[in-house]
Amino acid sequence: MRVPRPLPRWVRQARVVLVKELVDSFRDKRALASILLGILVGPLITAFMMNRIADRQKEADDVRIPIVGARNAPALVQWLSQQSGVLVTPPPADPEQAVREQAEYVVLVVPADYADDFRASRPASIKLIADSARSDARAQVERVQRLLQQYNAEIGALRLIGRGVSPAAATPLKVEGIEVSTTQQRAAKLLSVIPLMVLLAAFTGAMQLATDATAGERERGSLEALLVNPVPRGALALGKVAASALCAMLAVMVTAGLCTALLRFIPLQELGMRFRFGTPHMLGLMAAALPMCLLTASVQSCVATLAKSFKEAQTYMGILILAPMLVGVMGTLYPVDHQPWMYGVPLLGQYVLLTSVLGGFAPGPIAFAAAGLTCVASAALMLRATVALLNDERIVFGR
Amino acid sequence: MIAALDLKKYFGPVAAVDGVSFTAQDGQVTGLLGPNGAGKTTTLRMLYGVMRSDGGSIEVDHVDATKYPRDAQARLGVLPDLAGLYPRLTAREQVRYYGELHGLEGDALHERTTDLLKTLDLMHLADRRAAGYSHGERTKVAIARALVHEPQNVILDEPTNGLDVMSTRAVRAIIKRLKAQGRCVLFSSHVMQEVSALCDSIVVIAGGKVVAHGTPDELRARAGYDSLEDAFVALAGAGEPR
Repeated sequence: MRVPRPLPRWVRQARVVLVKELVDSFRDKRALASILLGILVGPLITAFMMNRIADRQKEADDVRIPIVGARNAPALVQWLSQQSGVLVTPPPADPEQAVREQAEYVVLVVPADYADDFRASRPASIKLIADSARSDARAQVERVQRLLQQYNAEIGALRLIGRGVSPAAATPLKVEGIEVSTTQQRAAKLLSVIPLMVLLAAFTGAMQLATDATAGERERGSLEALLVNPVPRGALALGKVAASALCAMLAVMVTAGLCTALLRFIPLQELGMRFRFGTPHMLGLMAAALPMCLLTASVQSCVATLAKSFKEAQTYMGILILAPMLVGVMGTLYPVDHQPWMYGVPLLGQYVLLTSVLGGFAPGPIAFAAAGLTCVASAALMLRATVALLNDERIVFGR
Repeated sequence: MIAALDLKKYFGPVAAVDGVSFTAQDGQVTGLLGPNGAGKTTTLRMLYGVMRSDGGSIEVDHVDATKYPRDAQARLGVLPDLAGLYPRLTAREQVRYYGELHGLEGDALHERTTDLLKTLDLMHLADRRAAGYSHGERTKVAIARALVHEPQNVILDEPTNGLDVMSTRAVRAIIKRLKAQGRCVLFSSHVMQEVSALCDSIVVIAGGKVVAHGTPDELRARAGYDSLEDAFVALAGAGEPR
């Protein structure tokens, strides 16, 4: 049996620091609660809103049509009630009042002369009572209008055939509507929030530990005693950064897992999205986001080491977290084509990868590798900077 | 053994330590005595390797501390000026953490930790988190973690500062025990009784310079005073710029 070679001393020391920082930080209940709240709120709110939108969409497909004077147009009423999801109901006493008071989304009124006009092939008037100020009724009203247009076209075609004219002659244009209704847009917007939430989790997850292990260590007066141990500063910094990177990774995995789980419960097909979110997507999200945790942890550790106090470090953390927000907001407001160079920019590269994965199209492994390597390389630079700061007496003993 | 030779440290144009030389022998307690701002802490910080000297040399058990700082630190147990504990770790965990950083592990680390906590009368704190400790308890735990690797040389920066009588006595007992074990103990203080009660050798430092070096009796004789306090005032005053 091969005896494993013992790890170099500095690696073992870094591991000791890592374990201590994790234990210490997981005992900080208040910090833990704030991290949990930070990563849970986003996905839950998004899921809630997606469900609301899906419900709305479903409501629009099931439409109630109260008809005043239904006896005047038996054929129309029969045709309507044969359409799927349509329920023809008796009219309210005062139709306009009912719509105004939001008791009904829409009411149809068939006048008494409808039958005469219809039989004489004159345009038979029919009244549609709706309140255009009500945005939640819009889908229902549009559905009823579409149904009436459809009936219009069918009867018109029959009349033309009865007169020996092809219905095609009366249809000079054939408009093919590609439907991108407002509800779908809203749902798509909501989905595009997921990459932002994953990016944010990489920041919020590392934040507490990165601050506590650097600025906190100094403010408690335990840094000088720690530096007396025969441990290279590089091993100390590595252990601390690795511990906060692990926290960030945990936060990213929880966020991505939560989003995946929630997406399964959201009736996406009712929002017109042919999209199933499964394990490959989940793995894609991880591959895109995990390398970035190294970078967020090392940047935050470096900045917090530079800060003069714990409080100042927290202020800097608040500024740092604007970076992913900026990328996410710009990405949502100004969607641009994904360019290859973007993979080489930390944060932007991850955002592009995450959006692609969620869009159901995964870029090649080279894109993942490029984005990941840039993160690891920048993380190494930040780690070096942190070590340099720990070697600076003005930093260690305050200024 | 700790030997400092012509140590220098500048903060900008100010010479905080200006050519300090002395030797602290094994089996002896050496006191670094001086008024506030004399350069005691800065001198000690250079000795235990958290500050670089701007000149001079340091040897710890004949290891050149400026060239091999980690090797020198491995031979030192230090209660530094700032000896904060981790509020969410227990006394046992604080001691174990330092032991692990020194490369101790397994049964050896466990036994050593338990031994220390027993000897320093800290067993009642062993599994309690540090957040609620008194000042005396914090100091004792900080000393325990400094001794976990059984260092030959022990540096204590004002160990009894701010402690009550009972805790002060406990710390003195620790220093005596370390001396009896043949270790080299170097501690700084500005409290006269303490230095005269404990020290075999006293280094008086003022204005970044060593102004006197010797046994308590020698110092009294040199300054021409019967009381060590008067001798100290006379000696320390000699180092102040006039």
